[in-house]
Amino acid sequence: MKKINNDGTFYLNPYLGGVILGTVLLLSFYISGRGLGASGAVKNSVAATVNAVAPQHVERSAYYSQFAGGDKKPMSNWLVFEVLGVLAGAFLSGIIFNRLKIKVEHSPKITERRRLLFALGGGLIFGFGSQLARGCTSGAALSGMAVLSLGGYITMIAIFGTAFGAAWLFRKNWI
Amino acid sequence: MIGPIISSGIISSAWDNLFAILLGMGFGFALEASGFSSSRKIIGTFFGYDFVVVKVFFTAAIVASLGLLYLNYLGLIDYSLLYIQPTFLTSAIVGGVVMGIGFAMAGFCPGTSLCAAAVGRIDGLVFFGGMFIGVFLFSEAFPLFENLYYSGSQGSPMINSVFGISPELFTFILVLAAVGMFVGASWVQKKVKKVEY
Amino acid sequence: MERKYTILTILLVVLALGLVVLPKNKERKEIDPKVLLDGVVERSRYLSVDQVTHRIIENDPTLLLVDVRPADQFKTFALPGAINLHPDSLLSQSGTDLLGQPGKDKVLYGNSDLIAEKAWLVCTRYSVNRLYIMKGGMNEWFNTIIKVKPATGTPSTTDLDLISFRNAARQFFVGDGEPATVTTTPIQKEKVPVIRKAPSASTGGGC
Repeated sequence: MKKINNDGTFYLNPYLGGVILGTVLLLSFYISGRGLGASGAVKNSVAATVNAVAPQHVERSAYYSQFAGGDKKPMSNWLVFEVLGVLAGAFLSGIIFNRLKIKVEHSPKITERRRLLFALGGGLIFGFGSQLARGCTSGAALSGMAVLSLGGYITMIAIFGTAFGAAWLFRKNWI
Repeated sequence: MIGPIISSGIISSAWDNLFAILLGMGFGFALEASGFSSSRKIIGTFFGYDFVVVKVFFTAAIVASLGLLYLNYLGLIDYSLLYIQPTFLTSAIVGGVVMGIGFAMAGFCPGTSLCAAAVGRIDGLVFFGGMFIGVFLFSEAFPLFENLYYSGSQGSPMINSVFGISPELFTFILVLAAVGMFVGASWVQKKVKKVEY
Repeated sequence: MERKYTILTILLVVLALGLVVLPKNKERKEIDPKVLLDGVVERSRYLSVDQVTHRIIENDPTLLLVDVRPADQFKTFALPGAINLHPDSLLSQSGTDLLGQPGKDKVLYGNSDLIAEKAWLVCTRYSVNRLYIMKGGMNEWFNTIIKVKPATGTPSTTDLDLISFRNAARQFFVGDGEPATVTTTPIQKEKVPVIRKAPSASTGGGC
Protein backbone atom coordinates (compact mmCIF):
# COMPACT_ATOMS: atom_id res chain seq x y z
CA MET A 1 0.00 0.00 0.00
CA LYS A 2 1.39 3.33 -0.98
CA LYS A 3 1.91 6.00 1.58
CA ILE A 4 -0.95 8.41 2.10
CA ASN A 5 0.05 11.92 1.16
CA ASN A 6 -1.37 14.08 3.86
CA ASP A 7 -1.89 17.32 1.99
CA GLY A 8 -5.66 17.08 1.78
CA THR A 9 -5.72 15.44 -1.64
CA PHE A 10 -6.08 11.87 -0.48
CA TYR A 11 -9.50 10.36 -1.09
CA LEU A 12 -10.71 6.86 -0.44
CA ASN A 13 -10.96 4.55 -3.40
CA PRO A 14 -14.47 5.35 -4.67
CA TYR A 15 -15.53 1.71 -4.55
CA LEU A 16 -14.33 1.36 -0.98
CA GLY A 17 -16.19 4.58 -0.16
CA GLY A 18 -19.27 3.12 -1.79
CA VAL A 19 -19.01 -0.11 0.20
CA ILE A 20 -18.68 1.86 3.45
CA LEU A 21 -21.63 4.06 2.54
CA GLY A 22 -23.70 1.05 1.52
CA THR A 23 -22.88 -0.73 4.77
CA VAL A 24 -23.91 2.31 6.81
CA LEU A 25 -27.15 2.45 4.84
CA LEU A 26 -27.73 -1.26 5.42
CA LEU A 27 -27.11 -0.83 9.14
CA SER A 28 -29.52 2.06 9.17
CA PHE A 29 -32.22 -0.16 7.71
CA TYR A 30 -31.31 -3.00 10.03
CA ILE A 31 -31.35 -0.89 13.16
CA SER A 32 -34.17 1.55 12.64
CA GLY A 33 -35.95 0.40 9.51
CA ARG A 34 -35.34 3.49 7.43
CA GLY A 35 -32.69 4.92 5.19
CA LEU A 36 -30.47 7.93 5.51
CA GLY A 37 -31.50 11.44 4.63
CA ALA A 38 -30.65 15.08 4.81
CA SER A 39 -33.37 17.34 3.47
CA GLY A 40 -35.93 16.02 5.95
CA ALA A 41 -33.92 17.63 8.73
CA VAL A 42 -34.14 20.98 6.95
CA LYS A 43 -37.87 20.51 6.60
CA ASN A 44 -38.20 19.80 10.30
CA SER A 45 -36.02 22.73 11.27
CA VAL A 46 -38.05 25.09 9.11
CA ALA A 47 -41.27 23.74 10.59
CA ALA A 48 -39.87 24.10 14.13
CA THR A 49 -38.82 27.69 13.46
CA VAL A 50 -42.17 28.65 11.98
CA ASN A 51 -43.89 26.85 14.84
CA ALA A 52 -41.96 28.93 17.37
CA VAL A 53 -42.69 32.21 15.60
CA ALA A 54 -46.28 31.66 14.50
CA PRO A 55 -47.92 28.52 15.92
CA GLN A 56 -51.36 29.34 14.49
CA HIS A 57 -49.87 29.52 11.05
CA VAL A 58 -48.55 25.97 11.42
CA GLU A 59 -51.96 24.70 12.54
CA ARG A 60 -53.60 26.22 9.50
CA SER A 61 -51.04 25.21 6.91
CA ALA A 62 -51.83 21.99 5.11
CA TYR A 63 -48.12 21.28 4.78
CA TYR A 64 -46.60 22.12 8.17
CA SER A 65 -49.45 20.52 10.08
CA GLN A 66 -48.37 17.13 8.74
CA PHE A 67 -45.26 17.15 10.88
CA ALA A 68 -45.40 20.12 13.27
CA GLY A 69 -47.84 21.80 15.62
CA GLY A 70 -49.94 20.14 18.28
CA ASP A 71 -47.92 17.63 20.23
CA LYS A 72 -45.53 16.81 17.41
CA LYS A 73 -41.95 17.78 18.11
CA PRO A 74 -40.18 18.33 14.81
CA MET A 75 -36.80 19.08 16.34
CA SER A 76 -36.48 15.80 18.19
CA ASN A 77 -36.75 13.93 14.94
CA TRP A 78 -34.47 11.06 13.98
CA LEU A 79 -33.24 12.88 10.88
CA VAL A 80 -32.16 15.95 12.84
CA PHE A 81 -29.90 13.80 15.01
CA GLU A 82 -28.67 11.96 11.97
CA VAL A 83 -27.70 15.24 10.29
CA LEU A 84 -25.79 16.34 13.40
CA GLY A 85 -23.96 13.04 13.08
CA VAL A 86 -23.18 13.76 9.43
CA LEU A 87 -21.56 17.05 10.43
CA ALA A 88 -19.49 15.30 13.08
CA GLY A 89 -18.48 12.44 10.79
CA ALA A 90 -17.43 14.74 7.98
CA PHE A 91 -15.49 16.91 10.41
CA LEU A 92 -13.69 13.83 11.68
CA SER A 93 -12.79 12.80 8.16
CA GLY A 94 -11.64 16.36 7.47
CA ILE A 95 -9.25 16.14 10.43
CA ILE A 96 -7.92 12.71 9.46
CA PHE A 97 -7.27 13.60 5.83
CA ASN A 98 -6.17 17.14 6.61
CA ARG A 99 -8.86 18.95 4.65
CA LEU A 100 -10.10 21.41 7.26
CA LYS A 101 -9.78 24.87 5.78
CA ILE A 102 -12.18 27.78 5.59
CA LYS A 103 -12.49 28.80 1.96
CA VAL A 104 -14.85 29.16 -0.96
CA GLU A 105 -14.14 26.50 -3.51
CA HIS A 106 -14.67 27.64 -7.07
CA SER A 107 -13.31 27.37 -10.57
CA PRO A 108 -10.50 29.90 -11.19
CA LYS A 109 -12.53 31.35 -14.03
CA ILE A 110 -15.33 32.72 -11.87
CA THR A 111 -15.40 35.08 -8.93
CA GLU A 112 -16.07 34.05 -5.37
CA ARG A 113 -19.19 36.18 -5.35
CA ARG A 114 -20.60 34.43 -8.40
CA ARG A 115 -19.90 31.03 -6.87
CA LEU A 116 -21.69 31.94 -3.65
CA LEU A 117 -24.68 33.33 -5.55
CA PHE A 118 -24.97 30.12 -7.53
CA ALA A 119 -24.58 28.03 -4.38
CA LEU A 120 -27.39 29.98 -2.74
CA GLY A 121 -29.64 29.72 -5.80
CA GLY A 122 -28.85 26.04 -6.23
CA GLY A 123 -29.60 25.38 -2.58
CA LEU A 124 -32.90 27.22 -2.84
CA ILE A 125 -33.95 25.27 -5.91
CA PHE A 126 -32.75 21.99 -4.46
CA GLY A 127 -34.60 22.59 -1.22
CA PHE A 128 -37.76 23.34 -3.13
CA GLY A 129 -37.46 20.26 -5.33
CA SER A 130 -36.67 17.98 -2.41
CA GLN A 131 -40.00 18.83 -0.80
CA LEU A 132 -41.89 18.18 -4.00
CA ALA A 133 -40.23 14.79 -4.50
CA ARG A 134 -40.45 13.90 -0.76
CA GLY A 135 -36.70 13.57 -0.40
CA CYS A 136 -33.32 14.36 -1.83
CA THR A 137 -30.50 12.35 -3.39
CA SER A 138 -29.86 10.53 -0.12
CA GLY A 139 -33.35 10.14 1.29
CA ALA A 140 -35.38 9.51 -1.84
CA ALA A 141 -32.87 8.28 -4.40
CA LEU A 142 -30.21 6.34 -2.45
CA SER A 143 -32.38 4.95 0.35
CA GLY A 144 -35.21 4.35 -2.12
CA MET A 145 -32.91 2.40 -4.42
CA ALA A 146 -31.70 0.24 -1.55
CA VAL A 147 -35.24 -1.02 -0.87
CA LEU A 148 -36.01 -1.16 -4.61
CA SER A 149 -38.68 1.52 -4.33
CA LEU A 150 -40.04 2.59 -7.71
CA GLY A 151 -40.17 6.22 -6.57
CA GLY A 152 -36.50 6.11 -5.55
CA TYR A 153 -35.41 4.98 -8.99
CA ILE A 154 -37.59 7.54 -10.75
CA THR A 155 -36.28 10.37 -8.59
CA MET A 156 -32.69 9.22 -9.14
CA ILE A 157 -33.11 9.14 -12.92
CA ALA A 158 -34.84 12.54 -12.91
CA ILE A 159 -32.09 14.16 -10.81
CA PHE A 160 -29.11 12.77 -12.70
CA GLY A 161 -30.73 13.04 -16.12
CA THR A 162 -31.58 16.69 -15.61
CA ALA A 163 -28.24 17.47 -14.02
CA PHE A 164 -26.39 16.10 -17.05
CA GLY A 165 -28.29 18.49 -19.32
CA ALA A 166 -28.27 21.43 -16.95
CA ALA A 167 -24.54 21.09 -16.18
CA TRP A 168 -23.85 21.88 -19.81
CA LEU A 169 -25.87 25.10 -19.47
CA PHE A 170 -23.84 26.13 -16.45
CA ARG A 171 -20.52 24.81 -17.78
CA LYS A 172 -18.87 28.24 -17.61
CA ASN A 173 -19.11 28.03 -13.84
CA TRP A 174 -17.19 24.79 -13.69
CA ILE A 175 -14.71 24.21 -16.52
CA MET B 1 -32.29 -10.74 16.21
CA ILE B 2 -34.80 -9.96 13.52
CA GLY B 3 -34.34 -6.44 12.30
CA PRO B 4 -35.25 -3.66 12.05
CA ILE B 5 -34.43 -3.96 15.72
CA ILE B 6 -36.03 -0.70 16.81
CA SER B 7 -39.33 -0.97 14.92
CA SER B 8 -39.79 -4.53 16.10
CA GLY B 9 -39.22 -3.43 19.68
CA ILE B 10 -36.13 -5.48 20.50
CA ILE B 11 -34.43 -2.45 21.94
CA SER B 12 -36.21 0.60 23.23
CA SER B 13 -36.81 3.50 20.90
CA ALA B 14 -34.91 5.73 23.31
CA TRP B 15 -31.77 4.36 21.67
CA ASP B 16 -33.05 5.50 18.32
CA ASN B 17 -31.56 8.96 18.52
CA LEU B 18 -28.17 7.69 19.65
CA PHE B 19 -28.06 5.36 16.67
CA ALA B 20 -29.15 8.26 14.49
CA ILE B 21 -26.03 10.18 15.49
CA LEU B 22 -23.74 7.17 15.01
CA LEU B 23 -25.21 6.28 11.63
CA GLY B 24 -25.05 9.92 10.60
CA MET B 25 -21.37 9.96 11.53
CA GLY B 26 -20.72 6.94 9.35
CA PHE B 27 -22.63 8.56 6.54
CA GLY B 28 -20.75 11.86 6.85
CA PHE B 29 -17.40 10.11 7.11
CA ALA B 30 -18.02 7.97 4.04
CA LEU B 31 -19.13 10.98 2.00
CA GLU B 32 -16.29 13.25 3.05
CA ALA B 33 -13.57 10.62 2.74
CA SER B 34 -14.76 9.80 -0.78
CA GLY B 35 -14.36 13.44 -1.73
CA PHE B 36 -17.96 14.60 -1.66
CA SER B 37 -17.06 17.74 0.22
CA SER B 38 -15.68 19.22 -2.99
CA SER B 39 -18.32 20.52 -5.38
CA ARG B 40 -15.82 20.49 -8.24
CA LYS B 41 -15.12 16.82 -7.68
CA ILE B 42 -18.83 16.03 -7.58
CA ILE B 43 -19.67 17.99 -10.70
CA GLY B 44 -16.88 16.18 -12.56
CA THR B 45 -19.37 13.40 -13.26
CA PHE B 46 -21.32 15.65 -15.58
CA PHE B 47 -18.26 16.74 -17.55
CA GLY B 48 -16.60 13.37 -17.55
CA TYR B 49 -13.41 14.22 -15.67
CA ASP B 50 -14.26 12.54 -12.37
CA PHE B 51 -16.87 9.85 -11.92
CA VAL B 52 -16.55 9.50 -8.17
CA VAL B 53 -20.25 10.26 -7.64
CA VAL B 54 -21.41 7.51 -9.96
CA LYS B 55 -18.99 4.99 -8.48
CA VAL B 56 -19.75 5.71 -4.83
CA PHE B 57 -23.47 6.15 -5.30
CA PHE B 58 -24.11 2.97 -7.25
CA THR B 59 -21.70 0.86 -5.20
CA ALA B 60 -23.57 1.96 -2.09
CA ALA B 61 -26.97 1.23 -3.63
CA ILE B 62 -25.87 -2.25 -4.73
CA VAL B 63 -24.27 -3.14 -1.41
CA ALA B 64 -27.36 -2.03 0.51
CA SER B 65 -29.81 -3.79 -1.83
CA LEU B 66 -27.83 -7.02 -1.83
CA GLY B 67 -27.36 -6.83 1.91
CA LEU B 68 -31.06 -6.31 2.56
CA LEU B 69 -32.03 -9.20 0.32
CA TYR B 70 -29.49 -11.51 2.00
CA LEU B 71 -30.67 -10.48 5.44
CA ASN B 72 -34.22 -11.11 4.30
CA TYR B 73 -33.25 -14.52 2.94
CA LEU B 74 -31.59 -15.47 6.19
CA GLY B 75 -34.67 -14.30 8.06
CA LEU B 76 -32.70 -11.60 9.86
CA ILE B 77 -34.83 -8.68 8.74
CA ASP B 78 -38.54 -8.19 8.28
CA TYR B 79 -38.85 -6.51 4.91
CA SER B 80 -42.42 -5.45 5.58
CA LEU B 81 -41.33 -3.22 8.47
CA LEU B 82 -38.90 -1.21 6.35
CA TYR B 83 -39.86 2.28 5.32
CA ILE B 84 -40.52 2.18 1.61
CA GLN B 85 -40.99 5.58 0.08
CA PRO B 86 -44.49 5.97 -1.39
CA THR B 87 -44.38 6.66 -5.11
CA PHE B 88 -46.08 9.75 -6.45
CA LEU B 89 -45.12 9.60 -10.08
CA THR B 90 -45.66 13.19 -11.18
CA SER B 91 -44.22 14.87 -8.14
CA ALA B 92 -41.22 12.51 -8.11
CA ILE B 93 -40.37 13.42 -11.70
CA VAL B 94 -41.01 17.16 -11.38
CA GLY B 95 -39.22 17.34 -8.04
CA GLY B 96 -36.30 15.34 -9.46
CA VAL B 97 -35.99 17.68 -12.44
CA VAL B 98 -36.03 20.72 -10.15
CA MET B 99 -33.36 19.11 -7.96
CA GLY B 100 -31.28 18.28 -11.02
CA ILE B 101 -31.16 21.97 -11.97
CA GLY B 102 -30.15 22.94 -8.45
CA PHE B 103 -27.52 20.19 -8.47
CA ALA B 104 -25.95 21.46 -11.71
CA MET B 105 -25.98 25.06 -10.48
CA ALA B 106 -24.36 24.44 -7.14
CA GLY B 107 -22.61 21.09 -7.43
CA PHE B 108 -24.00 19.92 -4.13
CA CYS B 109 -26.87 17.89 -2.83
CA PRO B 110 -28.05 18.37 0.76
CA GLY B 111 -25.89 15.65 2.32
CA THR B 112 -22.72 16.66 0.53
CA SER B 113 -23.23 20.35 1.26
CA LEU B 114 -23.30 19.48 4.95
CA CYS B 115 -20.00 17.63 4.59
CA ALA B 116 -18.52 20.60 2.75
CA ALA B 117 -19.73 22.95 5.47
CA ALA B 118 -18.25 20.66 8.14
CA VAL B 119 -14.77 20.96 6.64
CA GLY B 120 -15.06 24.72 6.27
CA ARG B 121 -16.31 25.26 2.72
CA ILE B 122 -18.35 28.45 2.79
CA ASP B 123 -20.14 27.57 -0.44
CA GLY B 124 -21.45 24.42 1.23
CA LEU B 125 -22.78 26.44 4.12
CA VAL B 126 -24.41 28.93 1.74
CA PHE B 127 -26.04 26.07 -0.18
CA PHE B 128 -27.42 24.69 3.04
CA GLY B 129 -28.79 28.12 3.94
CA GLY B 130 -30.37 28.34 0.50
CA MET B 131 -32.13 25.06 1.18
CA PHE B 132 -33.85 26.55 4.20
CA ILE B 133 -35.21 29.33 2.02
CA GLY B 134 -36.32 26.86 -0.63
CA VAL B 135 -38.08 24.63 1.89
CA PHE B 136 -39.71 27.66 3.50
CA LEU B 137 -40.94 28.95 0.13
CA PHE B 138 -42.34 25.55 -0.76
CA SER B 139 -44.16 25.23 2.54
CA GLU B 140 -45.67 28.70 2.23
CA ALA B 141 -46.68 28.15 -1.38
CA PHE B 142 -47.92 24.62 -0.68
CA PRO B 143 -51.58 25.26 -1.60
CA LEU B 144 -50.39 26.13 -5.12
CA PHE B 145 -48.58 22.83 -5.45
CA GLU B 146 -50.90 20.63 -3.43
CA ASN B 147 -52.44 18.95 -6.46
CA LEU B 148 -49.05 18.30 -8.02
CA TYR B 149 -47.74 17.01 -4.68
CA TYR B 150 -50.43 14.34 -4.46
CA SER B 151 -50.75 13.49 -8.13
CA GLY B 152 -49.65 10.23 -9.66
CA SER B 153 -50.06 8.24 -6.46
CA GLN B 154 -49.00 4.62 -6.89
CA GLY B 155 -48.81 3.33 -3.35
CA SER B 156 -45.41 1.93 -2.40
CA PRO B 157 -44.58 -0.35 -5.31
CA MET B 158 -41.21 -2.00 -5.70
CA ILE B 159 -39.46 -1.51 -9.00
CA ASN B 160 -39.13 -5.23 -9.73
CA SER B 161 -42.92 -5.61 -9.68
CA VAL B 162 -43.14 -3.07 -12.51
CA PHE B 163 -41.07 -5.43 -14.67
CA GLY B 164 -42.79 -8.47 -13.23
CA ILE B 165 -39.57 -10.09 -11.96
CA SER B 166 -38.35 -11.09 -8.52
CA PRO B 167 -36.36 -8.61 -6.39
CA GLU B 168 -33.38 -10.96 -6.57
CA LEU B 169 -33.35 -11.03 -10.36
CA PHE B 170 -33.76 -7.27 -10.53
CA THR B 171 -30.80 -6.78 -8.21
CA PHE B 172 -28.70 -9.14 -10.30
CA ILE B 173 -29.49 -7.12 -13.43
CA LEU B 174 -28.74 -3.94 -11.48
CA VAL B 175 -25.31 -5.29 -10.52
CA LEU B 176 -24.51 -6.14 -14.14
CA ALA B 177 -25.68 -2.68 -15.27
CA ALA B 178 -23.60 -1.00 -12.57
CA VAL B 179 -20.46 -2.96 -13.48
CA GLY B 180 -21.00 -1.93 -17.10
CA MET B 181 -21.40 1.66 -15.99
CA PHE B 182 -18.19 1.56 -13.91
CA VAL B 183 -16.21 0.21 -16.85
CA GLY B 184 -17.72 2.85 -19.14
CA ALA B 185 -17.02 5.62 -16.64
CA SER B 186 -13.36 4.64 -16.30
CA TRP B 187 -13.03 4.55 -20.05
CA VAL B 188 -14.55 8.02 -20.50
CA GLN B 189 -12.45 9.41 -17.67
CA LYS B 190 -9.26 8.32 -19.46
CA LYS B 191 -10.37 10.05 -22.66
CA VAL B 192 -11.45 13.35 -21.13
CA LYS B 193 -8.93 16.06 -20.41
CA LYS B 194 -8.10 16.20 -16.74
CA VAL B 195 -9.37 19.27 -14.96
CA GLU B 196 -7.32 20.55 -12.06
CA TYR B 197 -9.26 21.27 -8.92
CA MET C 1 -4.67 -2.46 -10.44
CA GLU C 2 -6.91 -3.93 -13.10
CA ARG C 3 -6.67 -7.41 -11.62
CA LYS C 4 -7.94 -6.15 -8.29
CA TYR C 5 -11.06 -4.79 -9.94
CA THR C 6 -11.63 -7.95 -11.97
CA ILE C 7 -11.64 -10.02 -8.79
CA LEU C 8 -13.99 -7.61 -7.07
CA THR C 9 -16.33 -7.62 -10.04
CA ILE C 10 -16.47 -11.40 -10.11
CA LEU C 11 -17.11 -11.48 -6.37
CA LEU C 12 -19.96 -9.00 -6.72
CA VAL C 13 -21.59 -10.81 -9.62
CA VAL C 14 -21.33 -14.15 -7.83
CA LEU C 15 -22.94 -12.66 -4.72
CA ALA C 16 -25.78 -11.24 -6.79
CA LEU C 17 -26.20 -14.45 -8.75
CA GLY C 18 -26.31 -16.34 -5.48
CA LEU C 19 -29.51 -14.58 -4.54
CA VAL C 20 -31.14 -15.58 -7.80
CA VAL C 21 -30.19 -19.24 -7.69
CA LEU C 22 -30.58 -19.89 -3.96
CA PRO C 23 -33.65 -22.03 -3.34
CA LYS C 24 -36.52 -20.06 -1.90
CA ASN C 25 -37.21 -20.49 1.75
CA LYS C 26 -40.16 -22.82 1.67
CA GLU C 27 -40.93 -23.02 5.32
CA ARG C 28 -43.09 -20.30 6.71
CA LYS C 29 -42.29 -18.61 9.96
CA GLU C 30 -44.89 -19.31 12.58
CA ILE C 31 -45.35 -16.95 15.45
CA ASP C 32 -45.46 -17.86 19.09
CA PRO C 33 -49.00 -18.90 20.14
CA LYS C 34 -48.83 -16.46 23.06
CA VAL C 35 -48.21 -13.57 20.69
CA LEU C 36 -51.06 -14.84 18.54
CA LEU C 37 -53.36 -14.93 21.54
CA ASP C 38 -52.45 -11.33 22.37
CA GLY C 39 -53.40 -10.41 18.83
CA VAL C 40 -56.73 -12.22 19.10
CA VAL C 41 -57.64 -10.45 22.33
CA GLU C 42 -56.52 -7.08 21.01
CA ARG C 43 -59.28 -5.35 19.07
CA SER C 44 -57.11 -3.03 17.02
CA ARG C 45 -57.45 -5.31 14.02
CA TYR C 46 -60.97 -4.01 13.43
CA LEU C 47 -61.62 -1.08 11.14
CA SER C 48 -65.13 0.33 11.05
CA VAL C 49 -66.97 0.52 7.73
CA ASP C 50 -66.80 4.31 7.98
CA GLN C 51 -63.01 4.24 8.32
CA VAL C 52 -62.67 1.95 5.33
CA THR C 53 -65.09 4.04 3.26
CA HIS C 54 -63.13 7.17 4.10
CA ARG C 55 -59.94 5.60 2.84
CA ILE C 56 -61.59 4.31 -0.35
CA ILE C 57 -62.85 7.78 -1.19
CA GLU C 58 -59.52 9.35 -0.35
CA ASN C 59 -57.94 6.89 -2.74
CA ASP C 60 -55.47 5.94 -0.03
CA PRO C 61 -52.58 4.16 -1.80
CA THR C 62 -51.69 2.15 1.29
CA LEU C 63 -55.10 0.47 1.42
CA LEU C 64 -55.43 -3.03 0.01
CA LEU C 65 -58.91 -4.50 0.24
CA VAL C 66 -59.04 -8.28 0.22
CA ASP C 67 -62.42 -9.84 -0.48
CA VAL C 68 -62.69 -13.37 0.96
CA ARG C 69 -66.22 -14.07 -0.36
CA PRO C 70 -66.91 -16.58 -3.14
CA ALA C 71 -66.01 -15.41 -6.64
CA ASP C 72 -69.60 -15.09 -7.93
CA GLN C 73 -70.53 -12.74 -5.10
CA PHE C 74 -67.37 -10.80 -5.73
CA LYS C 75 -68.34 -10.38 -9.38
CA THR C 76 -71.83 -9.14 -8.49
CA PHE C 77 -70.59 -6.43 -6.21
CA ALA C 78 -67.36 -5.65 -4.42
CA LEU C 79 -65.76 -2.62 -2.87
CA PRO C 80 -63.79 -0.57 -5.39
CA GLY C 81 -60.21 -1.76 -5.76
CA ALA C 82 -60.78 -4.96 -3.80
CA ILE C 83 -59.01 -8.15 -4.80
CA ASN C 84 -60.79 -11.47 -4.53
CA LEU C 85 -58.84 -14.05 -2.56
CA HIS C 86 -60.61 -17.24 -1.74
CA PRO C 87 -59.73 -18.72 1.68
CA ASP C 88 -58.47 -21.86 -0.13
CA SER C 89 -55.62 -19.93 -1.67
CA LEU C 90 -54.60 -17.92 1.39
CA LEU C 91 -51.37 -19.87 1.76
CA SER C 92 -50.71 -20.40 -1.93
CA GLN C 93 -47.94 -18.48 -3.67
CA SER C 94 -50.33 -15.86 -5.07
CA GLY C 95 -51.97 -15.43 -1.68
CA THR C 96 -48.72 -14.93 0.22
CA ASP C 97 -47.43 -12.60 -2.50
CA LEU C 98 -50.58 -10.52 -2.22
CA LEU C 99 -50.62 -10.35 1.55
CA GLY C 100 -46.87 -10.04 1.90
CA GLN C 101 -46.75 -6.66 0.17
CA PRO C 102 -44.84 -4.22 2.33
CA GLY C 103 -46.22 -0.77 2.93
CA LYS C 104 -49.88 -1.74 2.56
CA ASP C 105 -52.67 -2.10 5.07
CA LYS C 106 -54.43 -5.30 4.12
CA VAL C 107 -58.12 -5.15 5.03
CA LEU C 108 -60.04 -8.42 4.93
CA TYR C 109 -63.79 -8.53 4.54
CA GLY C 110 -66.44 -11.18 3.89
CA ASN C 111 -70.19 -11.06 4.15
CA SER C 112 -69.93 -11.08 7.91
CA ASP C 113 -66.88 -11.34 10.15
CA LEU C 114 -66.87 -15.13 10.17
CA ILE C 115 -64.57 -16.00 7.27
CA ALA C 116 -62.54 -12.82 7.57
CA GLU C 117 -61.74 -13.64 11.20
CA LYS C 118 -60.50 -17.10 10.27
CA ALA C 119 -58.44 -15.78 7.40
CA TRP C 120 -56.99 -13.17 9.74
CA LEU C 121 -56.02 -15.83 12.26
CA VAL C 122 -54.32 -18.04 9.70
CA CYS C 123 -52.40 -15.21 8.08
CA THR C 124 -51.37 -13.65 11.37
CA ARG C 125 -50.06 -17.00 12.48
CA TYR C 126 -47.80 -16.94 9.43
CA SER C 127 -46.52 -13.47 10.31
CA VAL C 128 -48.45 -11.31 7.85
CA ASN C 129 -48.17 -7.75 9.14
CA ARG C 130 -50.61 -4.86 8.93
CA LEU C 131 -53.64 -7.09 8.53
CA TYR C 132 -57.08 -5.75 9.45
CA ILE C 133 -60.72 -6.76 9.31
CA MET C 134 -63.56 -4.55 8.19
CA LYS C 135 -65.88 -5.01 11.15
CA GLY C 136 -69.22 -6.47 10.10
CA GLY C 137 -68.18 -7.21 6.52
CA MET C 138 -70.29 -6.39 3.47
CA ASN C 139 -73.60 -6.71 5.35
CA GLU C 140 -72.60 -4.01 7.77
CA TRP C 141 -71.23 -1.92 4.95
CA PHE C 142 -74.51 -2.05 3.04
CA ASN C 143 -76.56 -1.27 6.10
CA THR C 144 -74.41 1.64 7.12
CA ILE C 145 -73.31 3.29 3.92
CA ILE C 146 -75.95 2.40 1.36
CA LYS C 147 -78.98 2.30 3.60
CA VAL C 148 -78.21 5.34 5.65
CA LYS C 149 -80.41 5.40 8.70
CA PRO C 150 -82.08 8.73 9.31
CA ALA C 151 -81.14 10.35 12.55
CA THR C 152 -83.50 9.76 15.42
CA GLY C 153 -84.42 12.15 18.15
CA THR C 154 -82.13 15.10 18.50
CA PRO C 155 -78.81 13.96 17.07
CA SER C 156 -75.55 15.52 18.12
CA THR C 157 -73.37 17.35 15.63
CA THR C 158 -70.99 14.43 15.32
CA ASP C 159 -73.90 12.17 14.43
CA LEU C 160 -75.05 14.67 11.83
CA ASP C 161 -71.57 14.88 10.39
CA LEU C 162 -71.40 11.12 10.22
CA ILE C 163 -74.76 10.89 8.48
CA SER C 164 -73.91 13.52 5.93
CA PHE C 165 -70.60 11.79 5.32
CA ARG C 166 -72.43 8.52 4.71
CA ASN C 167 -74.83 10.28 2.37
CA ALA C 168 -71.94 11.71 0.41
CA ALA C 169 -70.26 8.31 0.38
CA ARG C 170 -73.46 6.69 -0.85
CA GLN C 171 -73.56 9.09 -3.77
CA PHE C 172 -69.93 8.29 -4.42
CA PHE C 173 -70.68 4.57 -4.71
CA VAL C 174 -74.14 4.35 -6.29
CA GLY C 175 -74.41 7.69 -8.04
CA ASP C 176 -77.28 10.05 -7.34
CA GLY C 177 -80.38 9.02 -5.56
CA GLU C 178 -82.53 10.23 -2.77
CA PRO C 179 -80.29 10.76 0.20
CA ALA C 180 -81.68 9.37 3.37
CA THR C 181 -83.66 12.06 5.05
CA VAL C 182 -82.14 13.77 7.98
CA THR C 183 -85.08 15.69 9.26
CA THR C 184 -83.40 18.08 11.61
CA THR C 185 -80.56 19.33 9.49
CA PRO C 186 -80.51 21.84 6.63
CA ILE C 187 -77.01 20.79 5.54
CA GLN C 188 -78.04 17.33 4.38
CA LYS C 189 -77.18 17.89 0.71
CA GLU C 190 -73.85 19.45 1.38
CA LYS C 191 -71.09 17.22 0.24
CA VAL C 192 -68.66 16.46 2.99
CA PRO C 193 -65.25 17.72 1.98
CA VAL C 194 -62.90 14.82 1.94
CA ILE C 195 -59.60 15.91 3.39
CA ARG C 196 -56.78 14.23 1.64
CA LYS C 197 -53.85 13.37 3.71
CA ALA C 198 -50.56 11.83 2.87
CA PRO C 199 -50.46 8.18 3.79
CA SER C 200 -48.94 7.98 7.22
CA ALA C 201 -45.61 6.30 7.20
CA SER C 202 -45.06 3.47 9.61
CA THR C 203 -41.66 4.60 10.74
CA GLY C 204 -41.61 8.11 9.35
CA GLY C 205 -38.27 8.74 7.72
CA GLY C 206 -37.81 9.67 4.13
CA CYS C 207 -35.35 12.36 3.45
